[in-house]
Amino acid sequence: MSQPIVVMEAIVKDFPNVRAVDGGRFDLRAGEVHSLIGENGAGKSTMMKTLYGLYAPEEGRIVVRGRSFEALTPAGAISLGIGMVHQEFMLVRELTVLENIILGFEPRKSGGRIDFAEAEGRVRRFIDDYGLHIQLHKKVNAISVGEAQRVEIIKALYRGAEILILDEPTAVLTPQEASRLFEILKTLTASGKSVVFITHKLREVMALSDRVTVMRQGRHVATVDVSATSIPDLARLMVGRDVFLGVSRADGGAAGDVVLSVEDVFVPSDKELSKLRGVSFELRRGEILGLAGIDGNGQSELVEAIAGLRPVEGGRIRLGQGEIQNRSPLEVRAAGLAHIPEDRNARGLNRAMSIEENLAGMAFRRAPLSRGPLLVVGALRRFARRLIETFDIRPARPEAPAAHLSGGNAQKVVVAREVDEEAQVLLAAQPTRGVDVGSIENIRRELVRARDRGTAILLVSADLEEILSLSDRIAVMYEGQITGLLDAEGADEESLGLLMTGGALP
Amino acid sequence: MNKSSTLSTLVTVVVSLLFGAVVVALLGHSPAEAYRELFRGAFWGRFNFGGTLERFVPLLLTALAFAVSSKVAVFNVGVEGELYLGAIAAAWVGAALTGVAAPIHIGLCLMAAMAVGGAWAAIPGALKAYWRVNEVCVTILANYVAIYITSYLVGYPLSAGTGVPQTAALAATARLARILPPSRANSGLFIALAALLVTWWIVHRSTWGYKMRAVGENAGYAEHVGIRSRVTMVWGMVFSGALGGMAGAIEVMGLYGYFLDGFSPGIAFDGMLAALIARNDIRLVPLLAFFLAALKAGSLGMERFTGIPKSLVDAIIAMFILLAAMEGLFLFRRGARGKEA
Amino acid sequence: MFDDLSLVFNYTLFRATLRASTPILYATLTCILTQQADILNVGVEGIMLCGAFTAVAVSYFSGSWLLALLAAVAVGTVIAAVMALAHLRYKADIFVVGMAVNMLALALTRFLLQKVLGTSGSFYDRAIVPLPRIHLALLDGNEVLRSLFNDYSLFEPLGILLVFFLSWLLYRTVWGLRLRSVGLNPLAAETAGIPVFRRKFEVMLYSGVVGGMAGAYLSLGYSRLFAENMTNGRGFMGVAAMFFGGGDPIRSWIGCLIFGFTDSIGSRLQSLGLPPQFILMIPYVATISILALAMGRKMAAQRRARSALK
Repeated sequence: MSQPIVVMEAIVKDFPNVRAVDGGRFDLRAGEVHSLIGENGAGKSTMMKTLYGLYAPEEGRIVVRGRSFEALTPAGAISLGIGMVHQEFMLVRELTVLENIILGFEPRKSGGRIDFAEAEGRVRRFIDDYGLHIQLHKKVNAISVGEAQRVEIIKALYRGAEILILDEPTAVLTPQEASRLFEILKTLTASGKSVVFITHKLREVMALSDRVTVMRQGRHVATVDVSATSIPDLARLMVGRDVFLGVSRADGGAAGDVVLSVEDVFVPSDKELSKLRGVSFELRRGEILGLAGIDGNGQSELVEAIAGLRPVEGGRIRLGQGEIQNRSPLEVRAAGLAHIPEDRNARGLNRAMSIEENLAGMAFRRAPLSRGPLLVVGALRRFARRLIETFDIRPARPEAPAAHLSGGNAQKVVVAREVDEEAQVLLAAQPTRGVDVGSIENIRRELVRARDRGTAILLVSADLEEILSLSDRIAVMYEGQITGLLDAEGADEESLGLLMTGGALP
Repeated sequence: MNKSSTLSTLVTVVVSLLFGAVVVALLGHSPAEAYRELFRGAFWGRFNFGGTLERFVPLLLTALAFAVSSKVAVFNVGVEGELYLGAIAAAWVGAALTGVAAPIHIGLCLMAAMAVGGAWAAIPGALKAYWRVNEVCVTILANYVAIYITSYLVGYPLSAGTGVPQTAALAATARLARILPPSRANSGLFIALAALLVTWWIVHRSTWGYKMRAVGENAGYAEHVGIRSRVTMVWGMVFSGALGGMAGAIEVMGLYGYFLDGFSPGIAFDGMLAALIARNDIRLVPLLAFFLAALKAGSLGMERFTGIPKSLVDAIIAMFILLAAMEGLFLFRRGARGKEA
Repeated sequence: MFDDLSLVFNYTLFRATLRASTPILYATLTCILTQQADILNVGVEGIMLCGAFTAVAVSYFSGSWLLALLAAVAVGTVIAAVMALAHLRYKADIFVVGMAVNMLALALTRFLLQKVLGTSGSFYDRAIVPLPRIHLALLDGNEVLRSLFNDYSLFEPLGILLVFFLSWLLYRTVWGLRLRSVGLNPLAAETAGIPVFRRKFEVMLYSGVVGGMAGAYLSLGYSRLFAENMTNGRGFMGVAAMFFGGGDPIRSWIGCLIFGFTDSIGSRLQSLGLPPQFILMIPYVATISILALAMGRKMAAQRRARSALK
């Protein structure tokens, strides 16, 4: 193989409160497909957005075809022949496909007019050369996701890309569309283009790429030839951990009756692979069922469907005695459900309100916090004081605004409100995401305590270590379906990693 | 409203007043005298102070209406229409009913106005809640429809038949008593202040208010804790529209004694701006409404005694609003980046 | 009854409609420009009013309609620049800025009317030179043709030309494509190397130019005087017509014609003692219905796209 055409060295990129990339390394050779893999938040996209010039790195060096840069801009990257297909398409939905492709690089006629004939001719050449079938005169909002992705690829090629970065391109595609994409990428590399392929699906990596770089927590872990590795090896490199936060997994004794049953459920979603297509499982009294999976495989949709926050298009969900699918969130809660949502800023908290008002999010409807339409301020405060003390929330002032809470304390407010409901079933989605170590322990202890009181808990987490240390049973979701159900004793990171990335257990 | 934004509002007030002083000086008048007359025109004597109160009432209620709708995240530009519809409803009940005791008659007029205003506001509220139709567009347009409806009613079925497009005079039992004659200030002031207290209490001390604020501040959170955000949004708009209707009713029952076609010169828009500067904080709404009312009333006195046109004061108010809207302008460094990422 | 109807609906309605729709048309063009960059310009009313005053004052003092027009355009541009600065640079809510500008314009023109032209209420003088009219001598012979096609003020046909010119600009030129992309998806525009902030600022200035023309036409073409608050809601009608057409020049122009048509019919009905209000509210009700139906369709399409059952 030739000299690398891109070399990125010692890249450091900070975001407020977090170092997204810390000593990132990457190189790309002409004509290869180089996969970049890692879990969510491993820094893959950040690395490549740095290469495309959307982010300026704090430290490090980017060398493209022998020219060294401290930072690039999108315009600079485009002129160096770098193109990127973003996870969220950068398309104007109300414009036609052709207009989107030429935007910013329009062929002109006199008077500032767009030379549409010339534009179409140029674009057709790419369509023919690479077999990228698209309809040029339709509006983007009328075409499928797969077609929109091909539009993005042509847009990059039209702008003169020799290096094509694809950020999780298959996350939005059906399997058929994905295999078509792979054909296209092969044609591209055959004609000398180089491809960076960001993903966390190991089968795709093995099928498509020449080399693969693994990232974890912002760091470079390894770069290997695909011919010299295997799916289990990659899974271990990807999810391997440095720290073990121990809440010892005290057994909750025998699990009791089924309290929540999900039967053949279909749920809509914006993303193709997050749509649920026939999910079934049961949750028993006094157990923690861990739901593992890489973000975006339908876990969020499942939780929201159970909680009444998302419609159910088919199947049944039973809670206790009754069916709860397509009931309002309030009815579902009344039937015996509490819910720690995965995004505390979008759902879990109202940052404009005080801590006490957030803690009372459910209890304000009942005596003693309210009498008829009247809120009882004294009772509200006493209620909040009790929870603040029990859950060690700081600052300990009930009237302090929730906006001032740190991530860990904000999450404790959510957990306190939901656990205090003492519902039959508790949905805990990513309960410790973005939370400091002390609060993590605190929150996990509360979950185990609730389980021991007899609550049935569905624990959704992208953190395998959390799943393994808390769950009694573990289910794995992949592409909107449950692909495995194991006892906690028989599970390890390797087997889970395999199921999560689309592999099968031996 | 936190400290730094209160400070920046104060700076804005000072800058606007200084600007006005410069213009006054350029016109060859004494700024000190102009502002003294402005102050006297707003507060000196029963007539002047009454003039301020008379303007304060509709400003307060319409600003309140706007602030309430913003609690459920609806930008209700339609308060003007609700004011008109409320006014004509009150005028009709006030004239058609006779032989009822005054408190009951006044109560019925207010209730009719609030019901009509609330029902009218429910339409854009529902369109936004259920179909996500932009409420700014709808309410701007709905204002015209509402004004044409009142214009038809006052021109034809409810016309007093005098050639002037106005309704028959209200029965004496439906009139609100003047409190500072010879000014037109009336007991509607107390109704408006009561409405202020009740509104604050509902928004901040009732379960309904909790739901409204939750929906407006974070709809995702509201749904999560089981609040029906769409229903709450529509009822929030009904609440807002009822306040707008009440403002119209008090204008008719306290100021005019009948409904006059096109009587409002955009009162609700002034109220909306007062609410916007107060950042929809119900505690600050009365202060800003009073400030604007005093400026408007005082400018009359200033014009009479110094010859400086009162339109200058209106221009200064507009300047003040423009400056106050520019969040980045007088924001002090310390508070500027307070938001957590 | 039949006689009455023929008084309302006859060939003179054509001209009345065109005349009544033109001020609204200029207001619409003013906000279409900014709407294409995703800025709702409710300050049209104020820009127009200032333009109208400037035009009358300059025309009166200089005796030149051209100078008056240029001055009105300059004033419109300056106001738009202030609005752009407040909104884009200092992050003020554009709606508040627009409403404040309307309020400022009303007060300022009233103030200047008193200070500069020494009167209040309205100002008319024979020394005010209006915009020229287009007179075609060959149409003089026929009463109907003369009424239909002759003696239009320069800006009436010009407005129609502007509709098609703007439509061409938006859909056929590089400038238009980039502007639309800025309004529809600023991030996509940014990644295509288009400077979003500058584009928005630029288009606000153009909007000020058209707004100034709108004012000049109102005071020197549509009428020949300045009156306090003479825009009388026409700026907002322009906003409504823009909503009606969804920001498209030709469709918005149709909206303006509906406004002009209902306005003309309304005033005729009124002179016959019939209630004009229901006719007058048609454009507003129609616009609300169009907005609601469009959103309803969009939501149904979204639901279908998200379904897991296909």
